Amino acid sequence: MSECILVVDDDREIVKAISILLEGEGYEVLKAYDGMQALDVLATHPVRLVLIDVMMPKLDGLSALMRIREKQNIPVIVLSAKSEDTDKVLGLSMGADDYVAKPYNPQELAARVKSQLRRYTCLGDIHAGSRIGEIRNGRLLYRTDEKVLYADGEPVKLTAKETGIVDLFMRNPGRVFPAEEIYRRVWDEDAFASENTVMVHIRRIREKMELNPKEPEYLKVVWGIGYKMEKH
Amino acid sequence: MDTKWKSIKKVLCFVVFFLGVSLTIWNASGLLRRMPEKLSYWRTGNLLEDDYQQTWSFQNYMTNRLESFLSVAVNGCPGNWYYYGSGYFDSGWSDELYSWEEELALREAEATEMQGTEIWEGTDWDYYGYWDDWGYDGNDWEYWYERYDGTDPGDRENLTEEQKRRLELLEQRKQKLVEKYFADIKGDLNLLYSISYDGKLLYSNSDVLAAEGSVQLPEGYNFLLYFDGEKVRIVKDGKEIDIYGDGYYRDDSNDWYVPGYRNFPVDEDMKKAVICMAAAEEPLLYTTGMDNSGGYRQQNNSLYWMRYNSIMDGKLLRWNLIGLTAGLALLFFSCLCRKGIRESAEKIAYIQGKIWVECKVLLLLAVLYAGWRECRMSGYGYGIWKELAYAYDYQWEVLSEYGGILLSELRYMSPLFWSALFWVIWLSWNDLRHNRKGWRHGLIAKCGRTISAREIKLPMARRMVRRNAVLFVAIIVSGILVLVGTLAAVDYGAWRYYNVWSILLWCVLITACFFLAAYLVGAKNIKAARDMDVLSGRIDEICRGNYSGFYEDGNCGSGMVSGDTGDAFLSGSGSAAGSGGTPGNGSTVENSAAHNLAIQGGGASSGKGAVEEDAALWGSDLSRTMAQLENIRQGMAGAVDEQMKSERMKVELIANVSHDLKTPLTSIISYVQFLKNEEGLPEHVQDYVKILDEKSQRLKNMVQDVFAVSKAASGELPMNMEMLDFGKLLRQTMADMDEEIQNSRVSFRTELPQEPVMIMADGQRMYRVFQNLFQNALKYSLDGSRVYVTLKADGKLAVASVKNTSHMELDEDKNFTERFVRGDKSRTDGGSGLGLSIAQSFTEACGGRFELEFNADLFIVKISFGIAGG
Repeated sequence: MSECILVVDDDREIVKAISILLEGEGYEVLKAYDGMQALDVLATHPVRLVLIDVMMPKLDGLSALMRIREKQNIPVIVLSAKSEDTDKVLGLSMGADDYVAKPYNPQELAARVKSQLRRYTCLGDIHAGSRIGEIRNGRLLYRTDEKVLYADGEPVKLTAKETGIVDLFMRNPGRVFPAEEIYRRVWDEDAFASENTVMVHIRRIREKMELNPKEPEYLKVVWGIGYKMEKH
Repeated sequence: MDTKWKSIKKVLCFVVFFLGVSLTIWNASGLLRRMPEKLSYWRTGNLLEDDYQQTWSFQNYMTNRLESFLSVAVNGCPGNWYYYGSGYFDSGWSDELYSWEEELALREAEATEMQGTEIWEGTDWDYYGYWDDWGYDGNDWEYWYERYDGTDPGDRENLTEEQKRRLELLEQRKQKLVEKYFADIKGDLNLLYSISYDGKLLYSNSDVLAAEGSVQLPEGYNFLLYFDGEKVRIVKDGKEIDIYGDGYYRDDSNDWYVPGYRNFPVDEDMKKAVICMAAAEEPLLYTTGMDNSGGYRQQNNSLYWMRYNSIMDGKLLRWNLIGLTAGLALLFFSCLCRKGIRESAEKIAYIQGKIWVECKVLLLLAVLYAGWRECRMSGYGYGIWKELAYAYDYQWEVLSEYGGILLSELRYMSPLFWSALFWVIWLSWNDLRHNRKGWRHGLIAKCGRTISAREIKLPMARRMVRRNAVLFVAIIVSGILVLVGTLAAVDYGAWRYYNVWSILLWCVLITACFFLAAYLVGAKNIKAARDMDVLSGRIDEICRGNYSGFYEDGNCGSGMVSGDTGDAFLSGSGSAAGSGGTPGNGSTVENSAAHNLAIQGGGASSGKGAVEEDAALWGSDLSRTMAQLENIRQGMAGAVDEQMKSERMKVELIANVSHDLKTPLTSIISYVQFLKNEEGLPEHVQDYVKILDEKSQRLKNMVQDVFAVSKAASGELPMNMEMLDFGKLLRQTMADMDEEIQNSRVSFRTELPQEPVMIMADGQRMYRVFQNLFQNALKYSLDGSRVYVTLKADGKLAVASVKNTSHMELDEDKNFTERFVRGDKSRTDGGSGLGLSIAQSFTEACGGRFELEFNADLFIVKISFGIAGG
């Protein structure tokens, strides 16, 4: 059976575009054009995920989000034209699971929907304690004994060097590693012109595990210092 | 009607209160004044009986006469019996208690024939003339004899011729004195007398009175005093009075001071004397014609005046009692309408407030002075000030005695004075209670204001100099006065204390005045200094860019502003302070209104502003400067507000526009995506879709860039500053852009130091800066040329430069960092035109320097940061 997704936006064309996109991915899509309608639909249909715009008539997205959170724990992705960091922080702190800025990249949106749904349906509670030999960080899971990285529960195929880098980062989330150190520890050689090499690898890893490799959420550059795995 | 009645009632209440208080005080003091000295003689009943023979004065008069007659009978000459108000008996010619001045005054009084009005023994000029002849301070005849012969006065045989001659003279004069004495009292038939000695009748002014102890009284006489050589008998209205009681005389009792007591026995000489005196029931006024001078001469008439006084006193006493009762009753009634009195008092205070304070002070002083004068003039004692001086002299040892005298002094003040004193005090109290700043309405205060107003026109420095000069003079003058006062006190001190009091008093008063002046000036200076402090603090704040109002802002040190300054300040800018705190929409109108008001307050203009300004000038030196500063502050605050507002509006506008652009853009991108994914489109349609896709992506980038750059320009960009390695940043950026660089037709040459070059910056923003610079270089470089990226650190400054050769001619006049300026005018290439602008904004927001240089076709960007220490 296909999963039911509620798309809420006052711009009907956007709702339509998203529904075409998501139906193409095989989901069933319900539509609503303001916050009140969204709440009505949620009350009557078994919705698995909500995509909601912020600026809407009658009831804005964030208020609707708070009302949804009073009753349901389904994943909610906020979709907004406001792309500032402060807006993102506000949306996430109000209970959103993800925040996508407009104009969105269709592939990225589809990937995020997929990711959220998988985490919600397959993995259950993300706050569950990790088992021994497992390192969990957001939608990533790294099994140290097998040296396998899972993104949204699916194993990510990595080369040996990439696995070495991922191993280093997953074991030390939040810590910033200079390129030289990464090179020394993974390649086990003295670093020389390491920046480009490391960067190439990191970019490849990102392409494999990030939803939008151009705006990475996990493997980030700390400009002028090094690289780090963001903690989620 | 109702209100009229109310006001009438109010007035009535006050009138009742006024009358009650006045009557009570008037009559109470009158009663006290008329009350005899010794309370034991206070016999209200007698006073009301109108019987003068029951009074102390009469008893005194009769005993005096008896003593005189006895003296005449025994010695041949009357003693000079003085009567004192306090009831002492004394004999002799002189009395230490009287000073010369007062004696002379007395003599003059005697010379104007004021006989009988006082209870003095009949004396006149001649009488005193004898006394002058004897001129010594000898107290009695015995003493005088001793001085002249040095022997026993009885032993007159052994006198020298000269002594005998003088004794003869003395005897003659004594005889003359006796004759004069009896001539004086003979005509006064209110007192009949007969004096016998050794069985021989010496003097008498009546045929009826025999000296044989007969108690037969003539018609019209009801009082008989008979001395038979042993005892005194008194018969009044046919009844005999027991005068000896238990046989002992007591000074403090009502006993008659006559011989015959066990402790006041009759001596041998007196035993031969028989004296009989009769007093008229209703004394008459006896007058004889003076043939030689053509006038009339009143006889002694002591008893007539005594009765007259007694009756008058009785009447007055009765009136006093009635008045006191009425006054107390009125007071009681006035207690019932206290509200009316209070309102009247307020009304009176209002009227009082209109009167110059100097007038009030003068009135108060006048009443006090009148009281002082009266104290000095009251017939008894020496005046209150001398009594005080004596009391001080005796170290207050005899305070009880002097206290009594002081009290009696106060008693003799007139009722009018007491009433006036009360009302003056009441009015002063009323004034002080209701008119809090009453002292400001007066001539001196007005002068002060005028002077201040004139002074305020002078420059600040001149004002200060002048004020300090006044202070200096005041201190010097007061110092001199204190010195003079001290010297005077030391010089005159011990023995002439009468003068020193007044000198000291004046010195103290004038010194106090000067101290007051010094205090006032000093206080003004201190206040000016405080105001200066506030002012400089204020200027400091404005310099630091705190344009908020003075009063709504707690940390502006408004607590330091003294009350008057506050008033002055608010008078100029009250509404400005109100509107200054709300820099929202529509505050322009309010601001300009506030400006007008403040200007009005600053420049002396008419109307209410001028009055307030007057008050302000009286209060503070710097109020005008404050107002001007406030004006400037408001102007600046307004300008800054305006600027901030327009900047904010611009950002808001851009944010809104970019949001509004993003929404349709989202649809466009989405549907272009669908089109792109559509299969089976004709080739040319696929081309169209591709162009649509490119342009929509470019539009997206532009919208984001516009938003970022406008935010950066308005200073609202959130920054996350941290220590980072400049060189690593460049390497990372190039690594990040490696793909683009590899695909381009230019190559990069780098010259970066291996060791870290630490700077303080926001890494994300700086990444954006170099990304833009590198993209520019890739876009506008000549094909096949090289881009040089270098970083140099010279210990303090880290300079990164990006050099590339432009593929087209650079226009020297063009400002490339201006927004939307691009290398080509056609604007058909891919950029948003914001690349350099963003680079510059972000660099500057991070605290770095952004420089552009052209050299022919060489395009150089230099970005420099201070190297962070440690």
